[in-house]
Amino acid sequence: MSPDTTMEKIYLTPTPVRIWHWLNALGIVTLCVTGLQIRFPEYANIFGTYKAAIKLHDVAGVTVSISFLIWFFYYLFVARNLVKLYVPNLDDIRQGLFKQAFFYFFAYFLGRQNPHTATQESKFNAIQKLSYLFIMFLFLPLVIVSGLLLMNIEPLRGWIVMIGGIAFLADAHYLIACSFFAFLCVHIYMATLGHTPFSHFRQMWTGWEEVESGGRSK
Amino acid sequence: MMSWMKWVPILLAAVLLSPLAAPAAGAAANHYCITCHGEKTVINKGAHLYIDPVKYELTTHAKIGCVACHDNVTKRHPADGVRPSRAKCQDCHSSVFSEYQQSSHSQYAGCTDCHKPHATKPLLAVSSRDINSQCAKCHEYSQTVKSHSKWLPRAALHIDALPCITCHTGSENYFITLYMAIKASGSPLGGFNLADFDDLRPFLSAGKNAETMIDSDGDGAISVSELKKFNTNSRYRNIILLGTMMPEVVTHSYQILNNRWDCTFCHVSGSKAQQISYLAFPGQDGAYGRMEVEKGAILDILYGTPDFYMIGFTRSKILSIIGGLIAAAGLMVPILHGTLRFLTRNRRKEQ
Ligand code: HEC
Ligand code: HEC
Ligand code: HEC
Ligand code: HEC
Ligand code: HEC
Ligand code: HEC
Ligand code: HEM
Repeated sequence: MSPDTTMEKIYLTPTPVRIWHWLNALGIVTLCVTGLQIRFPEYANIFGTYKAAIKLHDVAGVTVSISFLIWFFYYLFVARNLVKLYVPNLDDIRQGLFKQAFFYFFAYFLGRQNPHTATQESKFNAIQKLSYLFIMFLFLPLVIVSGLLLMNIEPLRGWIVMIGGIAFLADAHYLIACSFFAFLCVHIYMATLGHTPFSHFRQMWTGWEEVESGGRSK
Repeated sequence: MMSWMKWVPILLAAVLLSPLAAPAAGAAANHYCITCHGEKTVINKGAHLYIDPVKYELTTHAKIGCVACHDNVTKRHPADGVRPSRAKCQDCHSSVFSEYQQSSHSQYAGCTDCHKPHATKPLLAVSSRDINSQCAKCHEYSQTVKSHSKWLPRAALHIDALPCITCHTGSENYFITLYMAIKASGSPLGGFNLADFDDLRPFLSAGKNAETMIDSDGDGAISVSELKKFNTNSRYRNIILLGTMMPEVVTHSYQILNNRWDCTFCHVSGSKAQQISYLAFPGQDGAYGRMEVEKGAILDILYGTPDFYMIGFTRSKILSIIGGLIAAAGLMVPILHGTLRFLTRNRRKEQ
């Protein structure tokens, strides 16, 4: 960026969303690590005993479920911009996705500018919208529901049988969890693509993002 | 009231003919004694006098005959007023007896607290539920769940799925036994109970055994394709197969085993139990019969045993690998993008 551009601060992420995000991040990371030990106990003994891994996994799972509700109700009833922020519009689908992908996988390496500018009305670019939409409305609810069923096999056996059996449920839970790990790798890495490697992280912590005035953020 | 009296002449004749003292003729002697003790009417003289002939027939004890254990029954019994003797279990089961004597549990319960001598069954003929109901006489179910939940996650699930003796006696090996369970009527979420023969009768044509529901080719073994047929048959949609871990041998060393605190005693793959599993079918007489199930069936992701899963133990290898690939694909993004990003870093500085 050229030295003459002035930096301007905008408030992007309200407090409840930030609380949700870090609770959720801590929870998901804990779930991934404990989950690894739970599925592969003979290879990964991270928490000493299997029981410790199970208990921690249970606690983290409940935390993630509750914080998901916080996120959902905050966006639905307080901020009321869930659809606007998270659902790709026609423009995003027609050209946003392509432009953004072109930027990430090609133009970025040539040193070109990010075609999308974060504003309060349009926080995410088309790719962010689409991936967050899938993560928040498909994968997270699925992993939460399957996890809660697996925590209550005895009382909910009838539902589990209806869904297709406990083996299916456990394996689906595992595959979704692997997808979360994959998302996490990409997500954390992409978050370093801001105007400095840490600017997005600072934003997610304080709520304030520095953008070039009249200019672009990433 | 005294209806057995009308048999007295016939029975007296039988007594004279039957060589009471010879245990070799056990079956004949059983028959003679059962004519009174197997009739409900004997209950009028005392409920303890009744012996269920169906259950008795299934025991190995039926082969040795009543008088092997009640050896001083006279020809004039019961009119003689002599109370017949009872053999001690240790007369014949001395090794079980001495093993059990070494367990502190022998202070709390004797052989007949757990076994009715006239209704014993070998391990293979009982379900895990049958075993646990023996223990529940003294160890009340909800109390046991409560005390175990202090340290055992999902205690109720464990107690329902495992026979107590899997954790409290010292078999070296265990195998998986699958039981048919049927949806409890009137339970909206659908509790499932182990099915006995009467539960399955509506699904069976006359004279058929429960085995025929799954072993469709009648070869005495269960293959994955037979399991698939059973699992996808809509007629059986309310019947599922639940698995349990049964000890390979019975020991009477009742104890608290330290390695059972360690969940990975069971929740680990590659133990021997995984190789062999059995399906237990309830017989008309209340005893179970079992059939070997094709190796690997409990790991088959699509058609094997959809309602049996033990974490860490029955995981499918293929799915583990697919999951690993998904995770690896995620990791590749930062690695590849990051490399290119590093190589092209000067281009962004120039801007
Ligand atoms: C004719 C009917 C009849 C036959 C046959 C018969 N019993 Fe009995 N048995 C009785 C009756 C009635 C009593 C109860 C006697 C009493 O309470 O005084 C009894 C009592 C007993 C008892 C003792 C129960 C107690 O309270 O301690 C034993 C053991 C027993 N029978 C064994 C046998 C055996 C073994 C045979 C076969 C060899 C046999 N009985 C044949 C009618 C019969
Ligand atoms: C393996 C040994 C054994 C055999 C075989 C056996 N019994 Fe017994 N029986 C016992 C013992 C031990 C008791 C005492 C049970 C107790 O104390 O709970 C008993 C008790 C009884 C009683 C009295 C019930 C009571 O609770 O006091 C009767 C009646 C009886 N037996 C009849 C028979 C008859 C009839 C047969 C053959 C059909 C038979 N028994 C075969 C061992 C045997
Ligand atoms: C006269 C000898 C004799 C006496 C006494 C005896 N048993 Fe047995 N029992 C046998 C034989 C023989 C078997 C079959 C072989 C085996 O399992 O050891 C057997 C088997 C069993 C079985 C396995 C189940 C079955 O039906 O095969 C149990 C349980 C059992 N006995 C319990 C007892 C108890 C409890 C007593 C005391 C009340 C007792 N027995 C007294 C001879 C005896
Ligand atoms: C705390 C309950 C309990 C007590 C007490 C007990 N048993 Fe058992 N026993 C079992 C169970 C459970 C089994 C396995 C299932 C079955 O056969 O019923 C069994 C099985 C057996 C078997 C069959 C073994 C086999 O390999 O199939 C024999 C024989 C036996 N017991 C004899 C005895 C004798 C003799 C005593 C007294 C010294 C005794 N038991 C005391 C619970 C008990
Ligand atoms: C006749 C009653 C009776 C029956 C039946 C019975 N128990 Fe027990 N058991 C006791 C008593 C009494 C104690 C001692 C008090 C306690 O710890 O609850 C005990 C203690 C135990 C203990 C703790 C032992 C220790 O070292 O602290 C175990 C484990 C146990 N029982 C298992 C079983 C199992 C498994 C069965 C069924 C196969 C069974 N019991 C059947 C009466 C019984
Ligand atoms: C998963 C293995 C497992 C199973 C299944 C299991 N137990 Fe235990 N049980 C244990 C262990 C480990 C302890 C020791 C816990 C302690 O000392 O706090 C124990 C303790 C006990 C005790 C003594 C302490 C107390 O809580 O009273 C009794 C009695 C007992 N079990 C009975 C049973 C009975 C009855 C069943 C079947 C209904 C059963 N257990 C099933 C593992 C098991
Ligand atoms: C240690 C783990 C994580 C780190 C470091 C991290 C970092 C960040 C950063 C820097 C942002 C802001 C950049 C942006 O808006 O794209 C962000 C936003 C976001 N992250 Fe994460 N994240 C983590 C875990 C997760 C997890 C596990 C999920 C979901 C399961 C998640 C979902 C989201 C969502 C939905 C947003 C947008 C939130 C909004 O403003 O509404 N993050 N994350």
